[in-house]
Amino acid sequence: MKEYKKPLPKPTPWSKPFWDGCKNRKLLIQQCISCKKYIFYPKLFCPFCLSPDLSWIEATGKGKIYTYTVVYAYQPTEFSADVPYVVAVIELEEGVKMMSNIVDCKPDNVRCDMDVEVIFEDITEEFTFPKFKPVI
Amino acid sequence: MGLFKGKVAVVGIGEVPSGKFPDRPCLQNALEACREAILDSGIEKNEIDTIIPTGTFFDRRYNTDMIFSKLVEELGLLGKAHNNFQVFAGGSSSSTMLKTACGLINSGLAEVILCVQSDKTGSAPVQEMIDLFATFGVPDEWETPYGFFMGATGSLNATRYMHETGTTPEQLASVVVSMRKWAALNPNAMLRRELSVKEILDAKMVATPFTTKEGNVLADGGAAFIVTSTERAKDLRNQPVYPLGFGSRVCHYSISQDMDLTRLGFSEASQEAYEMAGIGPEDIDIAELYDGYPIFPLITLEGLGICGRGEAGAFVYEGNTWPGGKLPMTTNGGMLGQGHTAAGGGVAVLVEAIRQLMGKAGERQVKDAKIAVESSLGGTFMDSHIVILGRELP
Repeated sequence: MKEYKKPLPKPTPWSKPFWDGCKNRKLLIQQCISCKKYIFYPKLFCPFCLSPDLSWIEATGKGKIYTYTVVYAYQPTEFSADVPYVVAVIELEEGVKMMSNIVDCKPDNVRCDMDVEVIFEDITEEFTFPKFKPVI
Repeated sequence: MGLFKGKVAVVGIGEVPSGKFPDRPCLQNALEACREAILDSGIEKNEIDTIIPTGTFFDRRYNTDMIFSKLVEELGLLGKAHNNFQVFAGGSSSSTMLKTACGLINSGLAEVILCVQSDKTGSAPVQEMIDLFATFGVPDEWETPYGFFMGATGSLNATRYMHETGTTPEQLASVVVSMRKWAALNPNAMLRRELSVKEILDAKMVATPFTTKEGNVLADGGAAFIVTSTERAKDLRNQPVYPLGFGSRVCHYSISQDMDLTRLGFSEASQEAYEMAGIGPEDIDIAELYDGYPIFPLITLEGLGICGRGEAGAFVYEGNTWPGGKLPMTTNGGMLGQGHTAAGGGVAVLVEAIRQLMGKAGERQVKDAKIAVESSLGGTFMDSHIVILGRELP
């Protein structure tokens, strides 16, 4: 794997299971054991009822594009070789939203409400990123 | 709510021109704005008991100096000033400084407050600023790794808004047309050349749907205003400007976590502010709305109930917000016209609202303006603030 020069996440103790899940090709989100609500991004305790009892469940990995933008210029230096690239907010079937990139799709063809599903992209030995591609 | 109403007044303003001034230190922007505001108010400077310098991004050393009472020393208030502390919420520092000042004055904890802002993002190297702003309000674990950056924030709001309302790129671009028309009348503005919709849309694409002409341009600048009691304002020279209502909602830290990027918190914020002020959208003479990107004035016009859902684009496109239009909007030219001086972009919009109500806006003065609304947003457009100001005692 060649050297990766773009910014990497700095996981917290409570977000590490998410990144470990990605390495194992699983998209994990939290669920509050007390109020049953789904939670993303990972939290130390439930933001709805403050219960510290959270479990991890595997999301279906399917969702819709809530919004997106195609970046052409003035991107952070590390992403200069990637333009144009698509940054999107994806609403998962579980109702939580996450930011990621849309891949395997021409940027011009991306639309709001498009059905997408997760794919996993190995970035470094430590990190695998969840990205999304259109459901064909 | 609204106990301050009728008890608090803004009595003086100061501002240095926005632009790229590499040789003008941050401190100079602040000092000149302070001096102008003090002289403008006619208040004896030793009456200032509280200084609230908002934050600065570019010059960390200067920012620390502000926190640690540099201005108290520079203004000769050693041993006289009671307080010097920072109120900082990025772009919404304007509304939050004024809100804080109202509370302090009304409670009797302060008599005369000087609020000031200065920054130098315009003379910094462009790529350095992009990389710095890339980190502001963008979660490093959940958004930065995907190449998201502050310059693409408004694009996410706009894409969804266009999808839900059918608003066109031409209508969004017309917000810039409006800003530039006002900036052309503002000697403190950085971008004073008028632009056509075609020029705006033909410019280099940054992050769809916005081109370089639809993104704010970073600038150096500074502004200040003085807040005191209505009682103290009585024998000062300026027409006092009275805060009448505040409303606000914080809707995200991470832009990806906002519940509705096409509305933000402006409907709730407006409702709250209208109730406090005892007025409605029909009473507003000037809308000094925070821009940053063309999408935000549209969302704000709708939240304020001035336009129906999805109608704000056509309202601006038809020229209603231009000089001479039905509802003059962001009459200093906003960040898209006056320039984006970091937190000062919002402070400049607030100072303009005060300036208009004082009747001191020169060539761009809106005649007989009695009520102005000011809006602001900080971070990645995290919080929606509405402030209603008037020149008559409630």
